[in-house]
Amino acid sequence: MKPAAMAALRLLGGVILAGLVWEGAVVAFGIRPHLLPRLSDILTAIAFTPGAYWAGLQRTAAETLIGFAAGTAVGILNGLVFFRAPLLRDMLLPVFIVSQTIPVIAFGALVVMWFGNTLLAKAVIAFYLTFFPVTVNTLLGLNSVDPKQVALLRSFGATPRQILLRLQLPMALPQIFVALRLGASLSLVGAIVGEWFGDNTGIGVLLLQAMYNENVEALWAAILCAALLGTAFYALVAWAERRIVFWGVEQ
Amino acid sequence: MNRRHLLAATGAAAATPFIRPAGAQTLVRASLRLKWLTQAQFAGFYVAHQKGYYRETGIDLTINPGGPNLLTENLVASGADTFGLSGGTDSVFAARERSLPIVCAGVMHQQTPFVFVARADGPIRTLADFRGKTITTWFTGANFVLLGMLAQAGLNRGDFTMQPQQVSVQPFVDRQIDVVTATRYNEFFTLMSRVGRENLRVFVPDDHGITFPRDTVIVSEQTARDRPQMVQGFLRATIRGWRDVLADNKAGVDAVMSVAPTLNRPHQEFMLVEAGKLMVAGGAARNGLFWIDRPVIQAAHDFFRQHEVIKTPLDLAAAFNSSFLEALPVADRMA
Amino acid sequence: MPKPPSPLLELRGLSKRFGAVQALDSFGLDVQPGEFVTVVGPSGCGKSTLFNIVAGLDEPDDGGILRFKGRGCHARELLGQVSFMPQRDLLLPWRNVVDNAILANEIEGANRREARAKALSMLPEFGLAGFESQYPHQLSGGMRQRVALMRTFLFERELMLLDEPFGALDALTRSMMQRWLLDVWQRHRRTILFITHDVDEAIFLGDRVVVMTARPGAVKLMREVNLPRPRAPELLTAPEFTAIKREVLDAIEEEAMKSFISGTGAAP
Repeated sequence: MKPAAMAALRLLGGVILAGLVWEGAVVAFGIRPHLLPRLSDILTAIAFTPGAYWAGLQRTAAETLIGFAAGTAVGILNGLVFFRAPLLRDMLLPVFIVSQTIPVIAFGALVVMWFGNTLLAKAVIAFYLTFFPVTVNTLLGLNSVDPKQVALLRSFGATPRQILLRLQLPMALPQIFVALRLGASLSLVGAIVGEWFGDNTGIGVLLLQAMYNENVEALWAAILCAALLGTAFYALVAWAERRIVFWGVEQ
Repeated sequence: MNRRHLLAATGAAAATPFIRPAGAQTLVRASLRLKWLTQAQFAGFYVAHQKGYYRETGIDLTINPGGPNLLTENLVASGADTFGLSGGTDSVFAARERSLPIVCAGVMHQQTPFVFVARADGPIRTLADFRGKTITTWFTGANFVLLGMLAQAGLNRGDFTMQPQQVSVQPFVDRQIDVVTATRYNEFFTLMSRVGRENLRVFVPDDHGITFPRDTVIVSEQTARDRPQMVQGFLRATIRGWRDVLADNKAGVDAVMSVAPTLNRPHQEFMLVEAGKLMVAGGAARNGLFWIDRPVIQAAHDFFRQHEVIKTPLDLAAAFNSSFLEALPVADRMA
Repeated sequence: MPKPPSPLLELRGLSKRFGAVQALDSFGLDVQPGEFVTVVGPSGCGKSTLFNIVAGLDEPDDGGILRFKGRGCHARELLGQVSFMPQRDLLLPWRNVVDNAILANEIEGANRREARAKALSMLPEFGLAGFESQYPHQLSGGMRQRVALMRTFLFERELMLLDEPFGALDALTRSMMQRWLLDVWQRHRRTILFITHDVDEAIFLGDRVVVMTARPGAVKLMREVNLPRPRAPELLTAPEFTAIKREVLDAIEEEAMKSFISGTGAAP
């Protein structure tokens, strides 16, 4: 059997074991359902209206991915611009920092006024939480390139553009990926929080409805969906990191 | 394609939006912001929407749920939403005092939706027994209902402990507090299912002369002034939806659960029954659904003035506009 | 040896000051085409400053003369004109051996396929046969250094600047690399300016050894190494070699003492 298949099998075994421990603990210790329901009850709740959870998962995933992609693109671009134009960096970076001190709840209320209950509005909140760490880490990564390395390329007659594309940007990738892993989690949080501002579909909507109706099984069902989505997305980013930054943190 | 053909094609494409089926030409886009998450307490709006009643009155309506972080009055005043189902008469007062340009065009719940719940086997038997006890409530309106009700028994703010109530009623279930606030259609259901109806003692504000009508339909002053026809049409369609729901609760719950399938059906059915009772109570019995009962609203206003929740008297004639309702025949408004 | 009329590189009265620090002071040196010149000196004597100027990375202070191929020029005009190898290999971790070796050629716009083919054909000579697809983190220190040298050789310029290329290697690897370098140099006949801390290495490799003074850097001693080539390891113990070494060491000792005393503040 291939090592990847073995790893997947081990993971599956671990998940099943954790599920059994959960189920067993709730029954054995008589934990009251409003503190922690049985896993089987939660899965039953999902099986009862699978369409709602599937639609919520898709919608939230779309919001997260759009916000994350935009945050990554703008973050890297910001990092590049700030790296090349320190004056602009000194002018704008403090503004960005201030923007990040706005609680996401307050920002969400504004976004609803601007964009209404659209997919875009949620993506904007996911974007808002993602672009800043990516900006900062891109700048950090670009600035941390060994000056001797730059000098070597200059001695070969490299133009600033060649130095950027062949040296600085690839060298900044490990640092950028640190922010992307963080952004993967944050963009999901942003999308879910965005759904708390009045919408019909999404994991955040399911969470809110379950919470305020004190429907504990539905609450845990929504939490499971969020965890599933968050884990899958994080794993995707981590996989991309291993493929792209295969040399690791060697330098 | 030569240039002339291209131009002709472009012209045709540009003209397309104007060539619409007759009757749909006057459809106006509008949105309704609910005061809370999608639930059976809003069934009438969903039924009217799904049965096309709003379209028939020329409105292409989007229903936006509310939530814990949204203030309907702000969204309507800023123009983000056309119609709003706002918290209550007290929310309208507060918004008008802040000079938000909103107008109330109808009131959904004629009675106070809040009740105060104690243990049947506990020490609280009358309002006077609230003295020295710990009560949790919401500081978004329910707190004034409580103060008003206890004032009837001669209790003042310092005579009991009033704490903000969290999302869950569990502290009451676990006997950590003496009295909990519940809406008749939401928390009360949870309390019944966890403690049992027979183990609860319920204090109803309206039994003690405190009536705060709640769930007000609001529009911006600009909408009220410039598009009275649309407001009338909205109310006509809404009342039509609610009449259907009150005649057939099951269809109402179905309509809501088609939008939010994970809701608990027994709870939603209970909610709709309770919400229906609040809608047909008081002045609505004589004047129809969404009636603006001016004497009751005046009394609520005076109560808030007396407790200095409102610093200056408000122009209630301007804040509550019955003209849209009155444009509809009374027979059409009766439940 | 009769001197040809036109040196490849001429430095006269070259000075460089960084703030309060005078790194170079009236440094002068001629390098003939095909010559292997080694530079030794105490730590911090301005060897790297000298190299940065010749590589085009730093401008010398006004007043000195810098001539390359008989033409006076600014240091920056030398960017892309000399083949520079810094102390560390500075390989790019995401490029395999071949792609690291052709980095400089890629930057000057060479056809990538042709550059790769040429690099592949040079691999055996650099002891890297079969390693073309390996990444730097999979290589030993000696191999990485050879990849860096290959990158320097592939960037075909008349003047090569090698800044302590074997400094980080163990003694055994280092002496093998020295002989290998001489071998490669004799076949390719480039002009080499080579910085080292190691006096044996400087004499063993060079046609000429330049000893620099303690800071500010200037020429303390210029010593011809008139030992026959090709040179074998036994040369290191030959009396002619030891004589030169004595002379070079004396000069370095004197400078090292000066910088030690001024460093500790023991001298008036």
